[in-house]
Amino acid sequence: MRTGHAVETYGRLLALTTNPITWAWAGALVAALVALPWAVSGHLLVVSTTVLIATVGVVGLNVLTGTTGLISLGQSGFLAIGGYACGLLIRDLSLPTELAVPLAGLITGTLSLLIGVPSLRLKGLYLAITTLAASLIVIHIILYAEPLTGGPFGLRIPDVSFLGLRIADGRGMYYIALIVAVLTVVFVNNLMRSRSGRAWIALRDHDIAAKSMGIDLVRYKLLSFFVSSSIVGVAGALMALQLRFITADVFGLFLSIEALAMLLVGGVGSVAGAILGAAFIVLLPEIARGLLALVGWTGETGSAHVFEIRAVVTGVLIIVMLRIEPDGLIGIWRRTKRYWLQWPLSV
Amino acid sequence: MSALLSVEGLSKSFGGVHAVRGVSFDVAPASIHSVIGPNGAGKTTLFNMISALVKPSSGRAVFDGRDVSRARPHHLARLGIGRTFQNLAVFSHATVVENLLVGMHHRIGGNVLSDGVFFGSTRAREIRAREEVERIIEFLEIEHLRNEVVGMLSYGLQKRVELGRALATGPKLLLLDEMVSGMNTEETEDIARFILDIKQELSIAVLMIEHDMSIVMDISDRVTVLSFGERIADGTPGEVAADPRVIDAYLGGA
Repeated sequence: MRTGHAVETYGRLLALTTNPITWAWAGALVAALVALPWAVSGHLLVVSTTVLIATVGVVGLNVLTGTTGLISLGQSGFLAIGGYACGLLIRDLSLPTELAVPLAGLITGTLSLLIGVPSLRLKGLYLAITTLAASLIVIHIILYAEPLTGGPFGLRIPDVSFLGLRIADGRGMYYIALIVAVLTVVFVNNLMRSRSGRAWIALRDHDIAAKSMGIDLVRYKLLSFFVSSSIVGVAGALMALQLRFITADVFGLFLSIEALAMLLVGGVGSVAGAILGAAFIVLLPEIARGLLALVGWTGETGSAHVFEIRAVVTGVLIIVMLRIEPDGLIGIWRRTKRYWLQWPLSV
Repeated sequence: MSALLSVEGLSKSFGGVHAVRGVSFDVAPASIHSVIGPNGAGKTTLFNMISALVKPSSGRAVFDGRDVSRARPHHLARLGIGRTFQNLAVFSHATVVENLLVGMHHRIGGNVLSDGVFFGSTRAREIRAREEVERIIEFLEIEHLRNEVVGMLSYGLQKRVELGRALATGPKLLLLDEMVSGMNTEETEDIARFILDIKQELSIAVLMIEHDMSIVMDISDRVTVLSFGERIADGTPGEVAADPRVIDAYLGGA
């Protein structure tokens, strides 16, 4: 059984964790992620990169939907804006990738305010439908703005590099995604332990009380839209870099649903949950394939149906999660941890 | 001594219903002032007007030389008015410390970018805020609960956290809307003691709506009585208790 550890200064009290064991595990995780491209290659490396990109996107979505409580079904639209902004900045303006990616985020964040302003008085389902409609508008604009976006013919992104890492190289792209994912997770974790994050939680839990405590609701709702969508825009930019050829079809409605599913399965409102959810949903087809191989169903039939299986398993899992564990994977993790920390006194 | 808050003829009508009609009274600095009255007398509407959540139909609430009833609601904390709500209004998914820190929102400062980077200015600000929050935690004797999620606490303790959150705004005037309703005797006595300490040690004026007559009569310096939206009495607890109109309003007059 682990016992408490004393904290002696206020500065230590604010640390992400004061527990050296937690730091050691976090360090080990980052080291493992850095070493990963030497252990896996080809398809699995691509999937790992996708996990990291999804992590960025879901951590971003979590700011708006999990922390601020504003449900958005418009993620595909924001991803599309980020992806196309990044692609166009690189292809047409020849901006360095290091500049194009953050700029794509800022452009997405700024455009999200166009949806955020009319959404200020909307909550719950009404906001969800508004954001959904907005994302459909974005996709249509991209499709019809052919001279700029290439419309139905798509947008091809040249093989550029980011901090010396080439995007066409599997390892290079993996490290780009890893760097951005780590920065995003640290940034959002910091927000959550400071004034801005608390203001979002306050307006989610009780907006009138938040107002009386001095929080300007309009400002913080728009700020949440801006920060969340900027991060989602960066995820979209990474998608564009990874795929190197994007069309409006890439950013279909299913992407928004999937993003929300990642959030729900991982655990709404928690950064760690968002990471777990993103990893879990992206890895599902691989898990499904493994399970099918176990029961002896391999080869063409199995892999041909992998997308259908993935959709069905995803749907079933979301239902199961909402039914038995509303706190998501992070809830299961916390319970398991508590059990083992108190062992053998746990019940 | 000049008044800290002057309520001057505040009125509010919802359609044809006159919830509050021309109510006036003064709250002295560092005093405990109670507003009592039967259900539906307009007490909460009066509070909501003073804290700018409801715009008055007419009249003013002058605090520190300013009509606060027409201020933006989120400016009240900065102007020096903190409040609690009749129904629990805590941030139930956050911890005790986080709830109190939200109360300090306007005193912390900073922006999203510095908060996201954290190290440097935000860290220094958060440490200062945390020190202040620890003082409030000590004052309210909830040291053992600091990292508990507020939604998991008992009703009485959640109310205490809400009181702490209002204190964290650094107020000169505290509005308490039925703080002790639903509390047992022990919890009620604790709250009465805290309210007296708030007045005496922190020199903060308290304006409270209360149904519990024993606490009103015990600790108030002044009592204003409302009935059907109108002020029917205003004075010391003794004067008010002896006023025939007050007895009428509570017991039903002939």
